[in-house]
Amino acid sequence: MALVELKGVRFRYAGSDRYALDGASLSAERGEFVLLVGPSGCGKSTLLRVLNGLVPHFYEGDFEGEARVAGLDVRSTPTHVLARHVGMVFQDPENQLFLSSVEREIAFGLENLGLPRAEVRRRVREVLKEFNLESIKDRAPYELSGGQQQKVAIASVMALEPEILALDEPTANLDPLSALEILSLVKRLTSEKGVLALVVEHRLELALKFATRMVVMLDGRIVADGAPRDVLLRTGSIVGYPPVVVTHLLLKRRGLAEGSIPLTSEELARAVIGRWATRYS
Amino acid sequence: MSARVLDIFRFRRKRTPLHALDPRAKFVMLVALSAASLALSDAVSLSALLAVEAALLAVAKSLREWARSLAGLSTLLLLIFALNFLTLPADRLFVAAAMTLRFLCLTTAFSIFFLTTTADELAAALEVSGVPREYSMMFTMSLRFVPSLARDLQTVADALKSRGFELEKGGLKERVRNYTYLLVPLIVYELRRSIMVAEALEARGFGAAKKVEPYVDLSLRARDYVAIAVSAIALCAVIWVVASGVYGSFVNQVRAYFPQL
Repeated sequence: MALVELKGVRFRYAGSDRYALDGASLSAERGEFVLLVGPSGCGKSTLLRVLNGLVPHFYEGDFEGEARVAGLDVRSTPTHVLARHVGMVFQDPENQLFLSSVEREIAFGLENLGLPRAEVRRRVREVLKEFNLESIKDRAPYELSGGQQQKVAIASVMALEPEILALDEPTANLDPLSALEILSLVKRLTSEKGVLALVVEHRLELALKFATRMVVMLDGRIVADGAPRDVLLRTGSIVGYPPVVVTHLLLKRRGLAEGSIPLTSEELARAVIGRWATRYS
Repeated sequence: MSARVLDIFRFRRKRTPLHALDPRAKFVMLVALSAASLALSDAVSLSALLAVEAALLAVAKSLREWARSLAGLSTLLLLIFALNFLTLPADRLFVAAAMTLRFLCLTTAFSIFFLTTTADELAAALEVSGVPREYSMMFTMSLRFVPSLARDLQTVADALKSRGFELEKGGLKERVRNYTYLLVPLIVYELRRSIMVAEALEARGFGAAKKVEPYVDLSLRARDYVAIAVSAIALCAVIWVVASGVYGSFVNQVRAYFPQL
């Protein structure tokens, strides 16, 4: 069985007459970087919330279908058990950092599990080192920049050593450079530790190059799922084409570039250079 | 002005003996200082108490923060003085000065505590003392989100103002009504925030284990025992002086010294 296995999941928030998820099926494995895109209100956040059981435990409503995460049935497993398997990071770092120092912030989740202090201390030290946060461990999270805050938020959920990392628009409050840094960090976790990352992200131009897979949602359903390039070709009209793709299209139409659509500016440059090389050789 | 006044209670990270003291020791100190502020009722001994507090602030290297916030507090101090002075039947200057000093001493006692103790330390102290984690967390969070609330308030006020809404316009009645316009979106805003915070707490396994060992290792050291002992002795001394009537005759002497007040 896959690490994440959703089959025909339908969910309607209590008091709403519209299904936020309307038959979503998804299966994902370790090491994948799944980019989850779609217009606002399409059910992306709800899908992430199913993973750690916030839906249907914290948010009540009608839940149909089957959802298994790390072999556990989400419907009958409380969120604090799923929290060991799914690290959830939200859009606004401010609302997920509660304590007065980075070190305490990272210890918080481990404390909650009831681990002995010596064990918590050891894991906190490891995480501080791994995420390169040692120099700011005594600083208060709210004194940090947005990028550092989001890094602390990721570190604090990774302290629980989950196999899955779910990020709901983690870069929405960040400048482009910090956003890039956060996404590379997530990418490193997927490739080095084999973490499965599910990332909701609107800024395709930043996120595409990291993704191994792209999932597009519309009205609570998954309408496309596959390699980023293919999915982008099919669903660009829904999610919008990033500037490199538009530029490539214009250049290709005038015979100034070649090949399939690029996901990064480096690929675009290569497509142009390649075209000139074939023309003048 | 309001934000600056609150600065007197805002923790600042510094390396001083007072910052390093166990929060429980500082709490006993706070109790002793507050009890003394309330028990003493003449300007001379309250001034002496204030001098002790100032010395403690100097040890905590926080005199400057305290002095700066005091400027914001001055209106309130003047008001206390004026109200006492204008309404008392006799001994007006004597009592008004004492009341103003008492308020200052009490505020400073709390200021010493909060300037040198983080919310986490306090929460840990509460937990060690047997308060359930839910409650200590509630306490931590309520302090933690004060700046966020202040910013949200500013955001809503700016949004209203940028649409031509004049908050400060009109008489008292109209202003009160204006502020209800501010309050409704603010409450909605904070409710939404509280849901997001609750989600984040759930996602980090809050409430998973029944028994939680706090990360902050609170163990009383020699200096903490010294601080507790000194505070306790001071507290007992104040109680004895007041209860035995020694203090009463002292106050009478002071009063006799300034018959014209």
